[in-house]
Amino acid sequence: MTSLTGPSTDEQPGRLRRAPRLAATRGGNPLARAALYAVLCILSVIAVLPFLWMVFGAFKSGQEIRTFPPDLLPRDWTLDNFRTILSDPEMPLLTFYKNSLFVAVANVVIQLFLASLLGYIFAKYDFRWRQPLFWYLLALMMVPPSVLMIPNYLILSELGLLNNLWGLVVTAAINPFAIFVMRQFISTLPNDQIESARIDGASEWRIYRSVVLPQVRPALATLALLEFMFNWNAYLWPLIVLTENDKRTLPVILTWYSTQHGAQLNLVMAASVLLVIPVLIFFLLTQRWIVAGLTLTGGK
Amino acid sequence: MTTLLNRAAGPRPPRARARERRERERPQRWFRRLVLTPSLAYLAFFTLLPLVWVGALALFSYSPRREGSGPGGLGGANPFVGLDNFTAMFDTSGANPLADAFRGSLVTTLLFAFLVLPLNLMITLPLAAMIESVARRLRPLFRTLFFMPVLTSAVAVAVIWSYVLNPQFGLANSMLTKVRGVSTVIAWINDPSLVVLGIPVALLAVTAAYLWMDIGYNLVIFIAALQGIPSSVTEAAVLDGANAWQRFRHITLPMLKPTIMLTAVLTMISSFQAFDLFQVMTLGGPDRQTRVLALDIYENAFRFQAMGWAAAESLVLMVLVLAIALIQSRLLRTSWEY
Repeated sequence: MTSLTGPSTDEQPGRLRRAPRLAATRGGNPLARAALYAVLCILSVIAVLPFLWMVFGAFKSGQEIRTFPPDLLPRDWTLDNFRTILSDPEMPLLTFYKNSLFVAVANVVIQLFLASLLGYIFAKYDFRWRQPLFWYLLALMMVPPSVLMIPNYLILSELGLLNNLWGLVVTAAINPFAIFVMRQFISTLPNDQIESARIDGASEWRIYRSVVLPQVRPALATLALLEFMFNWNAYLWPLIVLTENDKRTLPVILTWYSTQHGAQLNLVMAASVLLVIPVLIFFLLTQRWIVAGLTLTGGK
Repeated sequence: MTTLLNRAAGPRPPRARARERRERERPQRWFRRLVLTPSLAYLAFFTLLPLVWVGALALFSYSPRREGSGPGGLGGANPFVGLDNFTAMFDTSGANPLADAFRGSLVTTLLFAFLVLPLNLMITLPLAAMIESVARRLRPLFRTLFFMPVLTSAVAVAVIWSYVLNPQFGLANSMLTKVRGVSTVIAWINDPSLVVLGIPVALLAVTAAYLWMDIGYNLVIFIAALQGIPSSVTEAAVLDGANAWQRFRHITLPMLKPTIMLTAVLTMISSFQAFDLFQVMTLGGPDRQTRVLALDIYENAFRFQAMGWAAAESLVLMVLVLAIALIQSRLLRTSWEY
């Protein structure tokens, strides 16, 4: 529970001091230590190489990218690929960023508002159907998205929400996973504060707003990042719902672009760089909270 | 406060007290109703209704292209077929290509899941232990490097790996060529004749990309679990002369068992549903060698509009996932006991 309030233990100086790490690192066998670092470095290179391959590919000319065998680094660095994409009327990048941002932010705001409200009700209110309802929510987490996607598609088509960004928001507004996390978190808050606020005449909404919400801010922030990331990277559902190019989100447009320009890998890689790198930097900056959220909840 | 005052005023008839309590809790009751009623209606509309609908669809031969007579377009041109969709899945006569494709994709999905799970654990567990034993200041750096692919969208991962595995211009063949000194052109994800130990190379290639994308996730969970092991235990083992391997085998592994179980199940469930990489990298090819269940469902439902059949398939997928989840809850219950 505590991990939600901050970064993982690595970066927390105030934590219980652990005894210095043992044989392998301190004193121990220097050979084993060197081997450890060597293995880790090799694995790190494998982890990073595909990213580098993408980035360097984006700076190669159309001719160079088609030489065999290719080199890792471009011989002549060029910005032409980026120029081509940014001036391509079929690739209004700004529109796609806007679409993705709208879907992710709308989902985060609506889901978290409802999750905190329902989490509060499930944690602090007593009513007859509480337990069965909560079990229903938990069971929903186990239902694979591919089961709901066919009927939800039909529902959206009845509602006229196909090819509409709101279609990606309305079906996900109540997020059982987020409700579950919020309930767990709010149950740990002391009851006396809520009771005394009531005695002071605060309305229920006021209690939720001014007593409960401020205390769950760290959990909300973590969940917000997680949900933002999931929505930003989502592919299957947007692929089904959005059928016109100008409505599409970034992952969908990236596959579209790469099938259109499959032969021009330099352009495809430049597009990948433009779509991936900015938000990757954002996620890296907020990584510690994402990690804290993942390890706390085990949720995917 | 009020109850104290009441008690001081002497005992009151229980019914009056109950009424008073109801009176006092009235705003709570109204708030609860005001929040729950619309949310539950909404929840029913987007979860209960679809669940019922998908169950109904599976009993019909339904295509949204055909105009049906009943509610939801069921009936009429989209006839009721009972359990035919399910019995057809066992049709091995070869007369039903959809059934053959379904069984093929089920086998591919299982193969994929059972490739991913052991490989994932074999990489992430030792890697977590290794990262936890390097100098403290370097740990976040290593963790970040392996976590980066988790933060990247699966589509981008698929596009990047398609380029890495490109037969002529890809990194993989380029490195092989340089190492072997002979020009090597392997069509990793396009050549159906490439098979290793009975497993298509295309499936192995997607598995490699999937692992690359996915290990950072389990890695951070294991690192967090390792940080939870009390140092006193490890210190005692060191004093007793246990070497690094013995400590890993007899302390780390048993202490991590609950985490490993949970992680294993989550990894399994998500690999059963893997879609993005397959759809972008191979589209199920070559020769349907990588056509996993989620892809088969998607193609049948949205490309061929055979939604009744796809709904039946998706229910099979759900049963599989629920079965694993059930086994999980059993395993976890037993492993919590020590």
